[in-house]
Amino acid sequence: MDMVTMNIIDSAMVAICREMGVNVQKTAYSTIFSEAEDFTCALANAQGEMIAVAEFCPAQIGGVPLLVRSMVKEIPLDEIDEGDVIVHNDPYRGGLHTPEHTMFKPIFIGGEIIAFAVCIGHFVEVGGMVPGGFPGEATEIFHEGVRVPPVKIIKKGEDVPEVWKLLLANVRTPRGNYGDLRALISAVDLGERRMIELISKYGTEVFRDTVSGLLAYSEARMRAEIASFPDGRYTFEDCLEDDGIEDKEFWIRVAVHVQGDEVVIDYTGSSPQAKGPINATLGVAYSASFNAMLHLTDQTIPKNSGCFNPIRVIAPGGTVMNVDYPGSEVGGNTETHPLIVSCIFGAMSKCIPNRVMASEGTTHGCFVFGGFDERNKEPFGGFDFTYVGYGGRSFADGNNATDSINGNCANTPTEVFETRFPWIVEEYALRPDSGGAGRHRGGLSISKTMLATGEMLISQMTNKHKRQSWGLFAGGEGISGATLFQRAGSADWQTIAQAFNKPSPSKYSNVPVHPGDRVSVKAPGGGGYGASSERDRKAIVEDVMEGFVSPAQAALIYGFEERWIEEFEDTGRELVPRQAAE
Amino acid sequence: MRFSNNGYYIERYVKCDNCGVLIYGEGLQAEVAGEERLFCSDWCEAWNKARVAGIEEPRIPLPKDGIHKTA
Repeated sequence: MDMVTMNIIDSAMVAICREMGVNVQKTAYSTIFSEAEDFTCALANAQGEMIAVAEFCPAQIGGVPLLVRSMVKEIPLDEIDEGDVIVHNDPYRGGLHTPEHTMFKPIFIGGEIIAFAVCIGHFVEVGGMVPGGFPGEATEIFHEGVRVPPVKIIKKGEDVPEVWKLLLANVRTPRGNYGDLRALISAVDLGERRMIELISKYGTEVFRDTVSGLLAYSEARMRAEIASFPDGRYTFEDCLEDDGIEDKEFWIRVAVHVQGDEVVIDYTGSSPQAKGPINATLGVAYSASFNAMLHLTDQTIPKNSGCFNPIRVIAPGGTVMNVDYPGSEVGGNTETHPLIVSCIFGAMSKCIPNRVMASEGTTHGCFVFGGFDERNKEPFGGFDFTYVGYGGRSFADGNNATDSINGNCANTPTEVFETRFPWIVEEYALRPDSGGAGRHRGGLSISKTMLATGEMLISQMTNKHKRQSWGLFAGGEGISGATLFQRAGSADWQTIAQAFNKPSPSKYSNVPVHPGDRVSVKAPGGGGYGASSERDRKAIVEDVMEGFVSPAQAALIYGFEERWIEEFEDTGRELVPRQAAE
Repeated sequence: MRFSNNGYYIERYVKCDNCGVLIYGEGLQAEVAGEERLFCSDWCEAWNKARVAGIEEPRIPLPKDGIHKTA
């Protein structure tokens, strides 16, 4: 194998995927693409294997192999023509959840399909029972929006008007969705052009051989990583606090079998599928398992289907890990996915304790809203992420204010948020004391308080309003999240469940909000790693001086005393022991 | 996954009784503990039989053909 050529082609393909992503960001209409970057761009070979992917949304990276497989099973290669673009979002056949739309474009060389350009993006508005795509009280797929099996949206370079009409007639924001669909299509168009340039430069045979070698290389690297882990059967469990419908917990139970250079990740014994929309699809079960394994292994392994070959996932149908038709599922990709990853980390903490982190907040907040904006006489729909605290690690505190582990999404700047939607942001801050105590503290989460300036309906799909992120090795728990509501003219804050008589405080649909009302969304903090008695005094003082931990809490947990501050000199860059500073 | 073959476009989602992956072809039928089950691959049949037999940690090398290509 020519390693130099392989490296050049691999890097070129990853660069193409990145360029496709920038294209989506620059051309989309919705802030979820232009600001939050909730999309992923990839390349696949004609056999449906992912051969390259850019580092956008991890939830979608692990989903690509199953998505491409389901697409080529449904539309055989000999029925795909040059210039076609296929769209697909069906959660029951490889899709991740209803909002996630995937575009596939074949890449022809000499009349033969050599590869596919793939772009997945999370559409904010997909029809269904609420504006914004996250009906916290959905009980079937039909509440969650339009389901699209793999169909051609463009045939031989020409729009298929019937498909466009069907898609846009069933959403509340057709102009925005039109722009976003075009953005994803332009990304696969770009991917096609760049790949034709690349393959033409090296020739089809060299390209195929090199990609084949690349897949084998990734597989060998992943096998070597797994082989370095101690063999064993490692188990863990954690739960979603409710499903928005019933006040009961839904458990994810995982057994990770490390066997030589292979891993079997078995979810047998997880709860039966829920009535409410927290169920994972098979695509999510795969994607979350792969996501966890990518986090636990060498980040320099080229990410393609090869590195997934040594991993087998068992996700029995009809469970919260693999929803059966027509069960609801939209929160499976946002709430259940990160909980699955944290369960695998919990299991693997007994195997490779230095590579895992304590539980992060495991939610994206998924605060959605929509209505008719009187300012510009147009319907609107929005999705706002609320960032959690990450878990502490063996070598560092958890990250503050970070999107949950399968999102990697950016925040929407307040200026953009207020311009695009009828809200004024009154508070956007780290939550002091939200990270779990420990030798390495859990990360702090975010609190965002918004004043409504227009009429709208709000909905939410989040978790951990009743539960907390666990710590590892005697690390403390992070604090819970909350969503609070204040009616215009009132000084009282209530949970959504209290104010609107909803079964769940964290999952609800279509709550009416009027001008002058306020909503405050608070995300859960991360768990700590290691005993709090082992925390370095300088780190405790820094926490207090930065306002990350209140003096009272620091005194309670760490025995902090005000005089400790005098022991350190603030150089402007860091704290140093006063004696050393002198 | 069973696509409509009578022109009525009515589809069914058929899953492996072990791993939950969609089965597009016929699949592999087998009897496990007196019950008829449908599997996507020899591996899933062997794993399921071992687990039902009470083996907590079966050791069955994975097929070398990627994500469930046999299904």
